[in-house]
Amino acid sequence: MTRFQAFLPRRSLWRIALSAVLLAPAAGAFAAGYPVVTNARLLHAASDNGWLMFLRDYTGDSYAPFRQINTRNVSGLKPAWDYKIGMKQGFEGSPIVNGRYLFVTTPKDHLIAFDAVTGKVLWKYQKSLAGVGLKTVCCDVVNRGVALYGNNVYMATLDNYVVALNAQTGKVVWQKQIKPADVGYAMTLAPLTLEGMVIVGTSGGEYGARDFVVALDARTGREIWRQYTVPSPGQPGSDTWPKGEIYQHGGGSAWLTGTYDPSSDTLFWGGGNPGPWLAKLRPGKNLFTDSLQAFNPRTGQRKWYYQYTPHDSWDYDGVNTPMITSLTYHGRRYQAIVHADRNGWLYVIDRRTHKLIYAVPFAHAISLAGFRDGLPYTDDAVRPAVGKQIFTCPSFLGGKNWWPASVDPATHMVYVPTIHTCMTMKGAPTFYKPGLPYLGETFKVVHDPNDSNWGALQAFDLDTGKRAWNHETRLPWDAGAMSTAGGLVFSGTPQGHLLALDARTGQVLWRSPKLSSGIIAPPVTYRVDGRQYVAILAGWGGATPIWGGDMVKSVANIPVGGHLYVYSLN
Amino acid sequence: MSVRLLQICAYALVLTALLPRRGEAASPPPALYTRSQALQGASAFEWKCASCHGHHLQGGVGPALEGPIFASAKSDFTIQQVYEFLSVEMPAYAPGSLTRTQYLDITAFLLRQNGYPAGVRALTDRIASHCTVPLLYRPAAKASPKVVKSKALAGKPLIVPRVNAP
Ligand code: HEC
Repeated sequence: MTRFQAFLPRRSLWRIALSAVLLAPAAGAFAAGYPVVTNARLLHAASDNGWLMFLRDYTGDSYAPFRQINTRNVSGLKPAWDYKIGMKQGFEGSPIVNGRYLFVTTPKDHLIAFDAVTGKVLWKYQKSLAGVGLKTVCCDVVNRGVALYGNNVYMATLDNYVVALNAQTGKVVWQKQIKPADVGYAMTLAPLTLEGMVIVGTSGGEYGARDFVVALDARTGREIWRQYTVPSPGQPGSDTWPKGEIYQHGGGSAWLTGTYDPSSDTLFWGGGNPGPWLAKLRPGKNLFTDSLQAFNPRTGQRKWYYQYTPHDSWDYDGVNTPMITSLTYHGRRYQAIVHADRNGWLYVIDRRTHKLIYAVPFAHAISLAGFRDGLPYTDDAVRPAVGKQIFTCPSFLGGKNWWPASVDPATHMVYVPTIHTCMTMKGAPTFYKPGLPYLGETFKVVHDPNDSNWGALQAFDLDTGKRAWNHETRLPWDAGAMSTAGGLVFSGTPQGHLLALDARTGQVLWRSPKLSSGIIAPPVTYRVDGRQYVAILAGWGGATPIWGGDMVKSVANIPVGGHLYVYSLN
Repeated sequence: MSVRLLQICAYALVLTALLPRRGEAASPPPALYTRSQALQGASAFEWKCASCHGHHLQGGVGPALEGPIFASAKSDFTIQQVYEFLSVEMPAYAPGSLTRTQYLDITAFLLRQNGYPAGVRALTDRIASHCTVPLLYRPAAKASPKVVKSKALAGKPLIVPRVNAP
């Protein structure tokens, strides 16, 4: 009980104490303090005062309609509170806010609940990873945040549990393991709650996993459906794989949170790279890897798909967020999916016809050579083989990795965190062994010969497909973007500055003092009692320092350690 | 010479197959590398691998490479598999960029850290890529007396047991 006294106005304490006596169990006495997360609130999360899910709402656009902090006054942003977490691994989580509760996850699956106004810690939870080797976790032992439903908060873990906790007490309500740990599968994503379900997807494209999206009953953890991204023999798409057992190690990881379109009742979820990496070992298009998948959220049935990279040999996961928006292109109005792919192309897809509206490269992109009849084709000359080293762009880290882009309905722009990398790649011997990577390629990330910078934050006008502005940086752009009705785009840098840019021009209007570590997480914004806050986790790590090849040197001296910062106007 | 070592490797394999598995290795481990290889390997590891796998192999962004979780019956890794994997795919930022000698030295170091004794003959690429002996962690306390008294170790326990909770 004392935990909650921390943030309650003093005069209400005696009333709480009294009602705690009158109402049993005691936890019920505080229910009023935690606004229940209903389906209706999730459907209208865009206009909620909190930040109720990973990318704010089901569109995945990371756009908030708040304008208290705006282009005119953003230079006056001041620290509201901060909290040093520590831990030396990467912090990729989005803080999730409901009422006065703010939830943050850390590397290795810790979860901390704060008072969103004062920064008081309300409770902490740590998933036990005893006996877990974290053998099949490629890109740092990260966690991207929680999902909310009812009075629960949900976390997906590195050992493949979905854990439901009581949002006010941190007590575990249920936990369910969807796959054993260390044999190819892991989870790092923020779950998605939808219509009483909690939906997650597995990582494992580097380890010969056969990945899937799974929906659990949010109240009990009971499995409702499970859909594999790589079909088994006889299922639709299975003819795009060689005969035999290879599909069982075909990858197609589903490692980033999907989006939902209520107008067509469709769940969108990306499919990751096929396994093993070396495409020669699995002739065919390899559906539904590197694909946008449209599911019936009630059954998990696949309605349609669009493959971004056919027969991938470059690790171009198609998991970057399929953002839901509408736009006008050449005078026609479209209900669209906007997606900045690892392969360096920005895809704009018609949600009604399931066809490509247009695609433009946003980074140096060679492997995917172009489009015929709206479908992409690759350049066979840059396909690696055993004994054949190729050079191509972008690198396997992508023109953009997982960092959320943001779509701003006011400017009609998409803000794309970008890295300028190419790579050498060569076929190599490989074998499948649970617990070891299954790649069949060696590789090295090198500089893009056309660009001396490693990174950029770029804006594209969605109505024209043309670049609107470009903020180039010597270091890679490794953090998510968020835009607001205040005319601002927020994002962070490896040097540890949170930036606010003018959404129309890209001009930097505010730069935080240097934080204790570099930023790889997305910022969020929320309102409590009429005051707007911006929150960001600092904590360098993630894929870049592990797999970054020549890029590693440029980020080698960045201090590590997790720290949550919250800003507001005075 | 390498034929001899392959025999040692094969002998160990037979023993492993005959003895019941109890999570940890019960059979006497083969001596597959020299002490000097392991020493060279320790410094190569520190230089090329420790940033991700930890200075004490306890794990970091990469998994622990020592201890009962890494080298367990459940993992079911063989020496060959681990060697072939690491010499092709590690270090992560530049796979395959080390020399053959460095990869062998590092493999020797990993064997040492997981409780395998040094011997008089050097680990070669041929041995490492054919040795299907299971890689099972052998804490010093549980190592068979034969191991501890082996000549190559010259009475110096090289194994520092560490329990690594990643
Ligand atoms: C930049 C980070 C990094 C460096 C440096 C690095 N590794 Fe790794 N290593 C990883 C990661 C991450 C994994 C997890 C598997 C994967 O995705 O490849 C891994 C996996 C492994 C594994 C498999 C372990 C298991 O239980 O599955 C071995 C063995 C290994 N590394 C050995 C080495 C050796 C030897 C070196 C030095 C030559 C090295 N690594 C350098 C990041 C690194």
